[in-house]
Amino acid sequence: MSANESPTDPAAEQMVEQASATTPESPTEAPSDVSPDIAPTRKTRRRPEHKPPPADDPSPQEVSESKPESPKASNESAVLQGGWGYWGSWGKSLLSTATATVATVGQGISQVIEKAETTLGIPSPEELSAQAPQEENTDGGTAGAEGEAQDDTAMGGALGMLSSLSSVVQSTGKTVITGSLDALEFIGKKTMDVIAEGDPGFKKTKGLMIRPTTLSQVLREAKEREEQQTSEDLSSDVEKKAHYGMLFDEFQGLAHLEALESLSRESEIKVKSVLTSMSGGELAQLKADLEEVSEPFSLMEFEDDDDDTKEDSDGVEFAKELRDAMSRLQLSVTADKLTQARTNIHDRIADVKSATPVSTTEEDEKDEADEMAVPQHTPEDVHALAISSLAELTAKSIELFHKVAQVVLHNASGNAQISTGDQAKVLAQITIMLCKEISLLSKSFTCCLTTVGSNEKGEVLNPLITGVFLEASNSATYIQDAFQLLRTVLQLAHIQRTADFAQ
Amino acid sequence: MAYAYLFKYIIIGDTGVGKSCLLLQFTDKRFQPVHDLTIGVEFGARMITIDGKQIKLQIWDTAGQESFRSITRSYYRGAAGALLVYDITRRDTFNHLTTWLEDARQHSNSNMVIMLIGNKSDLESRREVKKEEGEAFAREHGLVFMETSAKTASNVEEAFINTAKEIYEKIQEGVFDINNEANGIKIGPQHAATNSSLPGSQGAQQAGGGCC
Ligand SMILES: Nc1nc2c(ncn2[C@@H]2O[C@H](COP(=O)(O)OP(=O)(O)OP(=O)(O)O)[C@@H](O)[C@H]2O)c(=O)[nH]1
Ligand SMILES: [Mg+2]
Repeated sequence: MSANESPTDPAAEQMVEQASATTPESPTEAPSDVSPDIAPTRKTRRRPEHKPPPADDPSPQEVSESKPESPKASNESAVLQGGWGYWGSWGKSLLSTATATVATVGQGISQVIEKAETTLGIPSPEELSAQAPQEENTDGGTAGAEGEAQDDTAMGGALGMLSSLSSVVQSTGKTVITGSLDALEFIGKKTMDVIAEGDPGFKKTKGLMIRPTTLSQVLREAKEREEQQTSEDLSSDVEKKAHYGMLFDEFQGLAHLEALESLSRESEIKVKSVLTSMSGGELAQLKADLEEVSEPFSLMEFEDDDDDTKEDSDGVEFAKELRDAMSRLQLSVTADKLTQARTNIHDRIADVKSATPVSTTEEDEKDEADEMAVPQHTPEDVHALAISSLAELTAKSIELFHKVAQVVLHNASGNAQISTGDQAKVLAQITIMLCKEISLLSKSFTCCLTTVGSNEKGEVLNPLITGVFLEASNSATYIQDAFQLLRTVLQLAHIQRTADFAQ
Repeated sequence: MAYAYLFKYIIIGDTGVGKSCLLLQFTDKRFQPVHDLTIGVEFGARMITIDGKQIKLQIWDTAGQESFRSITRSYYRGAAGALLVYDITRRDTFNHLTTWLEDARQHSNSNMVIMLIGNKSDLESRREVKKEEGEAFAREHGLVFMETSAKTASNVEEAFINTAKEIYEKIQEGVFDINNEANGIKIGPQHAATNSSLPGSQGAQQAGGGCC
């Protein structure tokens, strides 16, 4: 298990290392005023810098070696111990962060959180999102004001829970949701800002955040662990269904991600070699240009628009916005697969809803629904559906970015009127759109869960709800990380275009 | 779901020879009559059984268009098997094989198993390349050869599975270092976990989730 996790090609990997090691200051790095303690401003937020791997880059083998060889019997405790163990040593190296993220991906997390809740006294997520579902089911003309109220409750719920986790993290010195905190940006901006301003714990934790070395490595390891687990436990069909990492792979997300990483790496090498071949004014000009292309990657703009109140449960609005954005890229890439997936997910949610009685406290309504004899959905079903939907949408998002990367490089000399820098801006907007959609989806699913599981005990429902929020938050992180991979690709495209133009 | 090995394949060859159709036939048992030009690379996966072991094939279907060449080259790395495809009704696609082969050999690992495929064997009346020519080319360059039809599914299973068998044999002979992922082979969870117990835990062949 441990030995087969070496990087795809050690030689090439080394090249990258060297390339990044020998260039003292990457010319394209974000401006250096990114300090961990800057309070997030209302309108903009800087992402942490993309740090090159440490010089003595420990090989991925070491990660897996230090991972608990989870024997079947003590599966759960292995996950827990491993997880907490790594989180305890987080921040020392990129590697431990990567491992910590791994521990939160796909599986085991609900146990981890459940444990965290009981041991650390974190408010129950069920409580936090419980108020939401009834309104959702009325489905009638009162959507406006009520919808908004509902928004706040559900979002506030997720944030409340995660924020309290983050303060616990701070006070205990353990990192719980490293990779996911960043994604909170997308789980409702307004609430976020309030929390960020009023919660030093959150700020601090967020500032400390470091990216994992490679995203696909994180996801691959998660998937492999899940496969290991399911192969040990063949009977557990339900478990298998809700394994994010495996599902992500089945939707070919991992393949697209690995390919995108490989393009991104090679683009970086090429960009660097072009830079080293230049000097003087020419070099300064190119550096300035590349900086401009980079800008949208370090600065995520949040518009203060009507997003919070928007009702778009069927994803029609999302599809339209995405289509518009794609056409602005002028790359003749469509997002049809993604929007189709989104539509299918909506249909599946609708199916669940129509088969679920509008469960108020009244018993008689329940009887009525029973008569309809529609197949009932269990909370586990809805949870599995949620996880698979999130995995699918994330995979399709990453596929889209990969397509864009390929076409951008292919078309570099093409006839696009739009500058590479502007393409980067549009792609940043698309990233935000996708992450918002993920958060909307997670909201729909948790509402569904609370409705379907209205008769369930908290112990059953809580981990499921928490799991959905966390995978949603992870999904948003993966999408943002995949977006980051486009930076060097667009820079190379810019160089190619300039060169072609000069000829 | 659980597998003993994962093999990465790459499908290469001129545009329009039927690479995507071969993949679709293999993973979904369908034929697509319209030519959807592949952009960059597409993916497919399927489980097969060899020697009682589950093997997952992760297949990279590349764009044949010349202009994508510089991008698709970067995907050759880390493939254990390659299907090099030409169209028996178009001589030019056969003539380009040498270039493809050079490219593949240069950008992949030296142990990669290459299967030469003359596709569209159902179009006998329009044949421009004789089967013997394909065989001769394969012999000369040390490739395995097969004629297929993505339309009728003739030999499609065999093409993918025989390539896997070849790779599997190389593993048994110790030619492949299975611990080096650059060879396009990974040991799966089943191998590590259930080798001794549970004979053929999940026997049936599975089509890789109809998602692509
Ligand atoms: N009769 C017949 N037609 C085929 C066969 N395989 C593919 N075709 C047709 O050939 C055309 C091209 O097939 P694709 O699989 O899309 O070609 P490709 O090699 O993937 O092309 P690129 O993606 O551009 O590299 C399509 O119209 C297919 O219907 C076959 O075995 N028999
Ligand atoms: Mg194709």
